[in-house]
Amino acid sequence: MWGLAAAGVGLSFLRAPSAGHRPSEGTVRCGPFSTLAIGEGRFVPHGARPLFVVRASESEVLALSAVCTHLHCVLRWDPGSRTIQCPCHAGAFDRSGAVLSGPPSRPLPQLEADVRADEIVVHVGS
Amino acid sequence: MNPAAVLALAASAAALPAGEGGAASLCGLCHPDVRVQYETSIHRSEEISCVSCHGGDPSAGDVAGAHGRGFRGRVRRAGIPDLCASCHADAGIMRPYNLPTDQLALYRTSAHGRLLARGDDRAAVCTDCHGAHDIRSARDPSSRVHSLNVPQTCARCHSDASLRAAFGHLGDPYADFAASVHGEALLRRGNLSAPDCSRCHGAHGAAPPGMGDVDKVCGQCHQTARYWFRTGPHATAMAREGMSECASCHGHHATAAAPVSLLETACSGCHAAGTAPLELASRMKTLYDGAGEEIETARALVDKAARVPLYVEDYRARLQEADTSLIESLPTMHSLDLSRVEHLTARARSIGREVQAEVNGKLGDRAWRRLGLAAFWFYLLVTVAILARRRRRWAGGGGR
Amino acid sequence: MSGADPAGGSRGPRPIAWIEQRLNLTEIFSFLTNFGVFPAELDTRKPLREAIHEALDRPIPSYARWPRVLGILSLMLLAVLAVTGVMLAFYYQPTPSEAYESSTILVRDVTFGWFVHQVHGWASHALLFVLLLRLGRFFFQTLYRPPRELIWMVGLLAFLAATHADLTGRLLGWSGQGYWTTVRAVEILYDLPVLGGLFAFVVGGPGIDSLVLTRFYLMHILVLPAALTGLLYLGSAGVRRVGLSGAPEGGAGRAAYAVYLHDLMILALLTVGALVTLATLLPAPFDQPADPLVTPRGARPPWYLLASYGFMEAFPGWFPRWARGLLVEAALVCALLLPFLDRPGKEGRRVRTARILAAAAIAAWLTFTWYGWRLEAGP
Repeated sequence: MWGLAAAGVGLSFLRAPSAGHRPSEGTVRCGPFSTLAIGEGRFVPHGARPLFVVRASESEVLALSAVCTHLHCVLRWDPGSRTIQCPCHAGAFDRSGAVLSGPPSRPLPQLEADVRADEIVVHVGS
Repeated sequence: MNPAAVLALAASAAALPAGEGGAASLCGLCHPDVRVQYETSIHRSEEISCVSCHGGDPSAGDVAGAHGRGFRGRVRRAGIPDLCASCHADAGIMRPYNLPTDQLALYRTSAHGRLLARGDDRAAVCTDCHGAHDIRSARDPSSRVHSLNVPQTCARCHSDASLRAAFGHLGDPYADFAASVHGEALLRRGNLSAPDCSRCHGAHGAAPPGMGDVDKVCGQCHQTARYWFRTGPHATAMAREGMSECASCHGHHATAAAPVSLLETACSGCHAAGTAPLELASRMKTLYDGAGEEIETARALVDKAARVPLYVEDYRARLQEADTSLIESLPTMHSLDLSRVEHLTARARSIGREVQAEVNGKLGDRAWRRLGLAAFWFYLLVTVAILARRRRRWAGGGGR
Repeated sequence: MSGADPAGGSRGPRPIAWIEQRLNLTEIFSFLTNFGVFPAELDTRKPLREAIHEALDRPIPSYARWPRVLGILSLMLLAVLAVTGVMLAFYYQPTPSEAYESSTILVRDVTFGWFVHQVHGWASHALLFVLLLRLGRFFFQTLYRPPRELIWMVGLLAFLAATHADLTGRLLGWSGQGYWTTVRAVEILYDLPVLGGLFAFVVGGPGIDSLVLTRFYLMHILVLPAALTGLLYLGSAGVRRVGLSGAPEGGAGRAAYAVYLHDLMILALLTVGALVTLATLLPAPFDQPADPLVTPRGARPPWYLLASYGFMEAFPGWFPRWARGLLVEAALVCALLLPFLDRPGKEGRRVRTARILAAAAIAAWLTFTWYGWRLEAGP
């Protein structure tokens, strides 16, 4: 019986955890690139550091932090105006993260992003 | 131009170190301190020389000659706005600089301009704020009218005790502003998004905002607060009663960061105890406090769980959502519409509660560890008892 | 662990007989006995069953009971450390960028990962404690005297190896406290003449970086466990040669080996029980990741180095650090050569003098440990 218990603990220990709980190597997968129209953005949840991916041109993609630089509210992509809006104090950012209006004084930080096999991959660092 | 004059020019150009812009140079021989100031000014780099304002002959080597032809000397205070406007109100001259040309018109509408028009020389004129010989671009951080320096510049008159007494002004606006949330942001942290005096009062058209305009002034930055204020009953009621909109609750120069607890103190200034408005205020405060507490409790739990460690990234994301809802809900209180406040705070509160419940659940799973430990010890002691009995058998010599 | 079944005849079942014609199982089993699990010699010429039965009936002195339990206990803890250590190595990645994250995943997401991690940590503390207690017992009871000089020296070296294994292990998690504890420890070790230079040579430099992490990792999982195993083997080999300390020679106090085998099994169970309880109820907190630019408050050398730290810092400034290090090394050498420094003379007086000296040495050690602790206690 002791042997069985030890084997149970050992085997369940050796079963590797699911993919979400493995070292991410600092990258976030942000969905297909081809379904994103030029100038269109997409919100990507990523823990306490959500982000936007924006297709800048035929081949370029841009990744921006989705946390307002004013009071750290979570920003929203506004498909009508193709801008980024803050629900808290009506701050607005353009598609490159620059401040359009409202209280934020700093632009949204950009993250490194590239496209691999039609998947947008953003490097968030560890 | 006669040869002697050319010779004098050459001599002066050689004698003065920064002698380009030649025609200005000879004035500095007698007015060296003015010349030093002038060297730093924006007018020098645009080659607006002494004679542009003062007249006279810059090429004359003697006082009589220099102060001769068309010499205006010291400009009268009352004449300064018109003198400056002779260039600055000329669209043709200002166009390449993309500068506005309406300063004089604005100035005439300002409290300063009207006072001057009444012949009171104490009124501020252009040079009092911009300086005269050492005038700099407003974008230059060392300029008197750069946003960071505007409060000090205005304070030279408005916080001057004798002038304040003369005009019957009570408070010291600079001291109030410096202690306010705006002053803290601008003066101490150098945040150029924060307002200086001119953002609310205007610059050339400086005047206190009138009743009914205060919400427009504040609403330049506090857009959402103004939006909700305009939808609520306070907007018309305060206008009817002649009350200053935002300032009635938040103060003006000394406005502090607005904590939720302001609902407890500000409303009772007008509304009597036990009335429906105070009831509403206390209910709104309860909603905000409740949501805030739920979020803080949840955050403390998440931090605790992170130290265990448990996987908490998803909880942090949801707490960020809750924070967003709570911050979003704060300006809606100006609408005095309880249902709006309720809607957003309820979202923040329920996220906080959900996170608490889930983290508590995960932390509670660790209670199973203790249960498992108890079971483990039970089996362990049973095994030890069996071994001890077999040991006794061996020790008794039986064994097999 | 079911032990040897005392029932049954002398002829083994068929598969075992088949194997025994091709392999000397008794010889292979004696591998275990050499490590002290089985202090009685086995007759390797006999078949396994017969050899074990013979050994089980042989009367021997108790070795799994106080105070002679410490040796076998350290072996058990080493076994626990080996098993849990191998399990941890399945997930751990020894690079500065991955060390913390892989440790976090190990203790957070892997089933029973926290348990294995905590048991490993507590077993490490327990091993150091047991080895130190054993040294203290040898010291106080003057057991280091002939014929047990080598057992004392081997025990001291084993303790040193265990402290190094503990020290290298503290860095591996790349947590704030672990990192800075290592920095503090390395600062002390570098001040030692010769040994410090040797240490620096092995570790690869004064800074704690990826190279050092790799070397510490290798030391921790390979070199030091091998050294520790070898030293404990030498210790039990010495015990087999010179006999258990204070053991009665005659029949009194001796019983059949099987009786003590039961003691041994109970001891093993209680040891595992204690470790599991500590791991479950008193888990070590999981610290923030290390920031090489920010020293957390209360970053002290590990406890076994506090005395050296306090001693090194207790001198006035004009006394060169290498000389302080030399004094520490001299104390270490004195401890190692204790059996030869303390030659036996008139028994009664010598024992009393030795005990007074022992008490003084331990008091000094505790005082400097306290002083070293105080040095970092600041605001």
